[in-house]
This record gives sequence, C-alpha cells and structure tokens, in this order.
Amino acid sequence: MSVAVRPDLDIKLAGGAEYGADLDVPGMLWAALVPSPIAHGRLRSVNLAAARARPGVVAVGPDDVAGLLPRGEGDPDRPIFPTKEVWYRNQPLAVVAAPTLAEARRAVAAVTFDLEELPALVDLETVFPEWPGSDAERSPHVIAHVHARHGDVDDAFRTADRVVEETYRTASIHHVALEPHACLATVEGGRWHVRTTTQTPFGIREDLSLLLGVPEASVVVEGTWVGGGFGGKGACLLEPYALLLARAAGRPVRLALDYRQEFELGRTTLPAVIRLATAVKGGRIVGRRVRLLLDIGSSLPGRDFATGYSIGFLLGPYRTPTFDVEGYGIRTNKPPFGPHRAPFAPQCAFAAESHLEEVARAVGQDPVRFRAEHVWKEGETTPLGQRVLPFGLATALERAGALAARWRSVAPEGHGVGVGVGFWSTSTGAGGEVRLVLTPTELRIVQGEREIGSGSVLRGLVAVAERALRLPAERIRVEYGNTAEAPFDSGVFGSRTVGALGRAIVAAADTLRATLAQRTGATPAEVALGVDGGEIVVVTPTGRRPLRSLLTAGDADGGVTASGRHFADSNKIDERRVVTGSFYPYTDFTGAAHVAEVSVDRETGAVRVERYAAFQDVGVVVDPATARAQVEGAVAMGLGTALTEEAVWSDDGRLLNPHLLDYRIPTLGEVPLPEVTFIEGFSGAGPFGAKGLGEPPIIPVPATVAAAVRDAVGAHVTELPLSAERVARALKLL
Amino acid sequence: MTAPPERVRVNGSPVDLAGMPDSERLLDTLRWRVGLKGTKEGCRTGDCGACTVLVDGQSTLSCLTLTREVQGSDVTTIDAAATDAELRRVVRAFAAAGALQCGYCTPGFVVALAGLLKERGTGAPLEELLDGLQGNLCRCTGYAAIARGVALAREGPA
Repeated sequence: MSVAVRPDLDIKLAGGAEYGADLDVPGMLWAALVPSPIAHGRLRSVNLAAARARPGVVAVGPDDVAGLLPRGEGDPDRPIFPTKEVWYRNQPLAVVAAPTLAEARRAVAAVTFDLEELPALVDLETVFPEWPGSDAERSPHVIAHVHARHGDVDDAFRTADRVVEETYRTASIHHVALEPHACLATVEGGRWHVRTTTQTPFGIREDLSLLLGVPEASVVVEGTWVGGGFGGKGACLLEPYALLLARAAGRPVRLALDYRQEFELGRTTLPAVIRLATAVKGGRIVGRRVRLLLDIGSSLPGRDFATGYSIGFLLGPYRTPTFDVEGYGIRTNKPPFGPHRAPFAPQCAFAAESHLEEVARAVGQDPVRFRAEHVWKEGETTPLGQRVLPFGLATALERAGALAARWRSVAPEGHGVGVGVGFWSTSTGAGGEVRLVLTPTELRIVQGEREIGSGSVLRGLVAVAERALRLPAERIRVEYGNTAEAPFDSGVFGSRTVGALGRAIVAAADTLRATLAQRTGATPAEVALGVDGGEIVVVTPTGRRPLRSLLTAGDADGGVTASGRHFADSNKIDERRVVTGSFYPYTDFTGAAHVAEVSVDRETGAVRVERYAAFQDVGVVVDPATARAQVEGAVAMGLGTALTEEAVWSDDGRLLNPHLLDYRIPTLGEVPLPEVTFIEGFSGAGPFGAKGLGEPPIIPVPATVAAAVRDAVGAHVTELPLSAERVARALKLL
Repeated sequence: MTAPPERVRVNGSPVDLAGMPDSERLLDTLRWRVGLKGTKEGCRTGDCGACTVLVDGQSTLSCLTLTREVQGSDVTTIDAAATDAELRRVVRAFAAAGALQCGYCTPGFVVALAGLLKERGTGAPLEELLDGLQGNLCRCTGYAAIARGVALAREGPA
C-alpha cells in the first residue's frame, strides 16, 4: 500500500475550501431566527407585522406554515415553529430575512409574541428527587423507558460476598465544531434546493420532504465542505427555515448560526444520573443493577434514541451472569438530545469503569487484572444475548496494563497512572451504495457523502478501492454528487463510512472485475489492473490490454461502471431478556484500552495529563495516517469531556456559558501527544475486516483520566467533568 | 496629523473603505466586502483564532478588529499563501505533516504561525512557537499533527 496523502490538503491550506458559512450568491438575503425568550410557555400568537413593515424584510412564522406541515403542530424535535407550547429557550418561533444581517437582526427585535411563561423543568433531579419508583412510566416527564434483565439477580445480590453501590453524574457537553451551522436555500419552479454543511445529505432530504410536505424528488440537498461534525451536523436544523424564506422572498436566502447560537441550539449530550450496583462472589462479578436517568431535553415520545442505545455500555464489555438494567429518558426544557461522537458512551464508560475500579479495590484485586478476568471473549454471549464476534479488547487491555505498570514504576511523586476501557460497534446497518466508473485514466468513486474532516471519505474510501483493485491511489478520485445525482447513502455517522461504503466498494469492485473478465476471456480472479504510460491497463494471463480498447458503446460515463451496496447482517439480541424498550444490537465489537499519567495540584485540584497511550482494536488498519489521526483527535476531545467541558444551565433554562471562554475545550498546550497502538487481527464488519474508528477512541478517555487521578491523589470523583473544583472537593480542600 | 487614507491594502491590493460603517469588523470586510472567504469566521469573540490575519505583519484577530482601526495598513490573509514567504513555508510544512482534518481552523493556524515566524524567525525554540499558538483552537486533530507541522516549519526550506 502506498502512503498516499489526503487529497484535501492543498485546497484547505490555501483557504480555498468553501464551507457552509462561506456560501454567497448575488442577490441573496440574510436570515435570522426569532428566538423564544423563555424556556417553557404557552404560545398564543406571533406577531410579524412590525417586522414585515420594515423595508426589504421577509418573515415566516407559525401562521404561514401550518398548511405545509404534515404534522400540523409545532414539533420540538423538529426545526419548525411551535404553535402552542414553547419547549426551550431560544426555540425558533419565526424567521426573518433582509438584505443585510444587521437589518435582519433589527427585524427580529420587532417581532412580538403573546407568550405566557410556565414553570420550566431544567434539572433532571428535580423531576425525580427520589429515585423513580414503579409508577415512573406514568410521569408525563418520562419519554422513554427501557428495561432488560437476565437471571436471578436478586439471589445474586442476596448471596454475594460483597455488594458495591454507587451513583455517578455526567454533564451536558457541546460539539464545538469550529464551523457554525449554515446553509443557502433557493426555491425555483417547485424545486427546493439547499446547499448546507451536513453529515447526512440524504437524511436532510427525507426530513425536508416530511416537514415541507413535498415529494423527495423535488428536494435537492447539496453538501458543502464541513468544518467539523462530531454528530452535530447529522440532522435538519436550519434548512427548512431558509427554504421557507427563499420561497416567500423569491430570492436565495443565507441562514447561519452565530457561535452563541451554536451553543444554545445544538442537539447534544445532556446530563445524566447513573446508579450502579455490583455483586461479587468468590472474586467474580455475579450480578449488576443499573439505573439510568437521562436528560433527553425536549425530545418527543418515540424519538429518543439515546436511552436504550447507551444503556448496554453500563454493563461494560464484561461477563455479567445476572443483571437488571433500567433507564428513563426524562423530558426537560432544553433543546432535544442529539448525537455527539459515540453518543453518551464516554459518560457510560466513565461511570462503569470507575465503578469497576471501586469494586476491584473493594475485593482487594488489581483493577486491570479484575477487568481482564471478566472481559468478553469471542463466541461468548453478551448480557443482552448477542454472540461476541472477534474482539481485541483482551489484547489491548493486557498491553495497556503492562504499559501502565512501567509508567507507574518511574512516575514522579504526585503523579498517578490509570487504565480505562471502552467498547463500540461499527454502525454499518444503515445502508449505502456506490458506483465505480473505471475510465481509461482513472477510477471514479461516485457516492453521496461529503468529507467532514476525518478523512474517511476522501482518503478512507480511496484506500479501500486501492486495496480492492490494486490501483495506485493517485488514479482514484472520490466524486460527490448532490442528492439528485449520487447513489443513496445514509451519511457520515456511527463510524460507518469505511465500514459500510467500503464494503459497497468491495462489492462493486468484484462486479467490475467480473465485467472485465468477460471482456477479456479471463476469470475474475485472473483480472488485475495496472498503469502503463498514464493509461489504465487490464492485466490477464493472456496479456496487457489498454482499458480504452475494452470499452463498448454501452459504457456510460466514459468507462466501465459497477455498483455496489452494503447493508449489514444483523446480530440479534435475545428478546427474552428485554422487558421493555429497544436496545442497540452490536454489528461488531471494537475495544479500546487507554493509559493516562496525570499530575494533580494538591492545592487547587487542577489535573494535568502528562502522558497518554491508546491501544485500539481496529480489525485491520486501512490507512495508517488517517487512522492514527482519528485516535489523536478523539483523545483530545475526550480530555475535554474528562476535565473541563460542561454546559451550565440556570433554573430557568438559560445556558450560562454559551461561549468558548467559559466552555473550555483543550488547547494546544494541554494535550499530550498520545502514543497510538493498533491491535489488528480481530475482524470487524468493514472491508477486509476493518472496524469503524471515528468514535471508539474517545470512549475510554474520561474513565482513564479518572482512574489516573484516583491513583495520583486518592480522589474518587464520581462526576464529570473532573474540574479542579470537583477534584478539590474530593480531596476535602473545599 | 492628517487622517489615514480611507483604504487598506489586502494582500497587496488596495480596498476602498469610503462609506463603510465605522462598526464594521475587519473579518467582515475581508469576507463580505472584499469577498476573500479564506479567513474563517468561528466564534467572533476572539476565543478560537480561526479568523487570524496579519496586520502589518502582526498576527491579529480580525473578528475583534474594527477595519477603521487598521486604515492605511497592510493586511495579509491565507489567500496570499502562494506569494508570502512565511505563509508558503507554513503551508508546505502543514501539508507534509498532514496537519489538518476538517480544515476550518487551518487558515488561522497557518497565518498565526507565519506571523510568529516573521516576528521571531525560524530559529525560535519550538516550545515558544507552540506556546504562541495556544489561542488557536482545533477540535479535530488533537493538535498532534499540527505540532508536527510546526516542527517542520522551523526546519523546512522556505
């Protein structure tokens, strides 16, 4: 394999990449959202007359869209206006556009409402001051309820040698993609066209079709360069507003969030309270009880994905013969919960791993060895009854444990070393399709994703094709089309791009080889590709033929074409273990074990990460440079979750730190260069046995840092983030 | 003293500022008046560094700078990467290090580092250069590849 470079380096380094926020066409209007001034209230009317009276202003509000919306009702999970009840502060109540942004903002100020404030419910723990009882599902605030159990957990706890019970709390965080959400909409001749910064062009098309009540065929979504996604650009946010304004104005409309709005309107991980109890007998875990209260903001019933999705992570990747896990998704007056790089898994791993550390200590065992004795092995059954597929966690953990012992043996006084674990699954389930076009000079990969930064599209897909067809990377080009041109794909999320589209490329490559075999009289296995003097040649046992000589009149797009699709096989969970709700079935099993060395200031509680190492189960490394970059970036992002990042909400639903000064992400001097080691050989769901890599490396980070802090100063911190203040409290300095 | 002329020079070309509102920020002048979108808009509060440009060779946050404040000055942006010696040096080093992912913070990093090199020379200690980039945020790379790029920029050819 060649060491190819990312093909987007030059354009991005020259400042030439056009992101959503850079879109600009002559005659466009600038739009602004009209935010709700309160977090919860009864809405009687929105008066746009004064705004509309201003020169050049166009406004759209609830009265203008009722007929357009299939649901007829404002839907807090959806980015169209509420008509009766406001669910969170800054929820858009209308939207305006004007020739300049300043005029649009003045028009926003001219909008008035008839809005009656109702008590806001912001803090999850005020909903259930006591832990929810058996009648909890009848609470109007419980939007989701999931429950699974297996074995005689009561007996396990009754007969245990030792029971450890703890409560953990985790914070609300933000994506902090540096590019704010932005789009540019045009409506012409019944065609709704939007250019937008998104991870999921086809998902946006589907949402727009539903929201606007128009067929998908009349909606065209065109992705731009994306200035960071991390899950935050995976759903419709601004597009319907911009389109409605563009239709009303008969002109293109640009709508972008400012960075404060990024914080206020982003759909991300919200706070949680996690209770864990573990029963141990004879040095082994015999039972686990889990209770999760998850703030899912103003998500609607049936629209919560997080509660059942994440709760499996609270059992950990460990043998647990009996268990009872129950989770409640609680509705609060905040924006809806949304995906954030490995949604809620780092928080679950923090709680479950810190708890396991406590359990190991309580029974006098070494925490790393205790984990190793419980880690799932291939062929075993998970608590939810899935068969464990090849899983490199035991190997990763062994190596992490050995490194931690070495670091600890030379660590200076006051430093601590900790190990943490995380696991994940490549989400190849949602489908995808690619079309390969082999022309006389290059291979084009025609597909529907945009590069969001990780390199999975522009470099990852090329590396897969390079390996599948043995063609040099410089002869392979990824081509993006809008939703009217490109084959369907569900988007960049769930660490799925290389896994799902990569499998589709391998399938298409097989078809391509079969076609070439037919045209050369060889067998598909005998067909190879090569390059002679700039021309692609087909190599068979009978000779080398220029591809050009094999083209027929029927070849579209100037080359031999082949399509490939991929939808994952299901690996079902055992429904007998499910009492209620839906749980996430893992497609494959990806493990990671991390090691951190930290120093802790004994006067302030401030934590500094001195050294960091990641051992990442990956199946097979498809492209070494981008794989390593994913781990380096995920570790840094995870250190923010671990140490500083926390959105703070007032009791009346106001976000108190909607800016980068008070919401602190790691800076260049605060992130150690991590040592990255890939564990290969445990095959996953992707091409050649690859496993997804966008999310797994962030999962163990908060747990690892917490273990290191505990090792350094004995502080057992049960809340994220491990801010100086929380560490100081644990050390009884405050 | 005479009032400074109502223009700035952006990457060598004069930009007429007559009639411009006094409240206009340099970032907006560059992006929307001149049409140079290479300079990125991030937070607009001076916390992320994405909008960094050089004003008379000095690294400057264009989001916190009123254009009127820099009337008569020379403004250099990422769009001059092909012609400015330090920008070219940094671009080459960042390319060799693969020092970006989404690329949105990249123009800010490149310009900020070019400014540091203009000020302190390639002989400046690596730690000093890295320290000088603490005001530039990156969410994708974990700064690892960027730090490798900074090291290469010190060592590499102009």
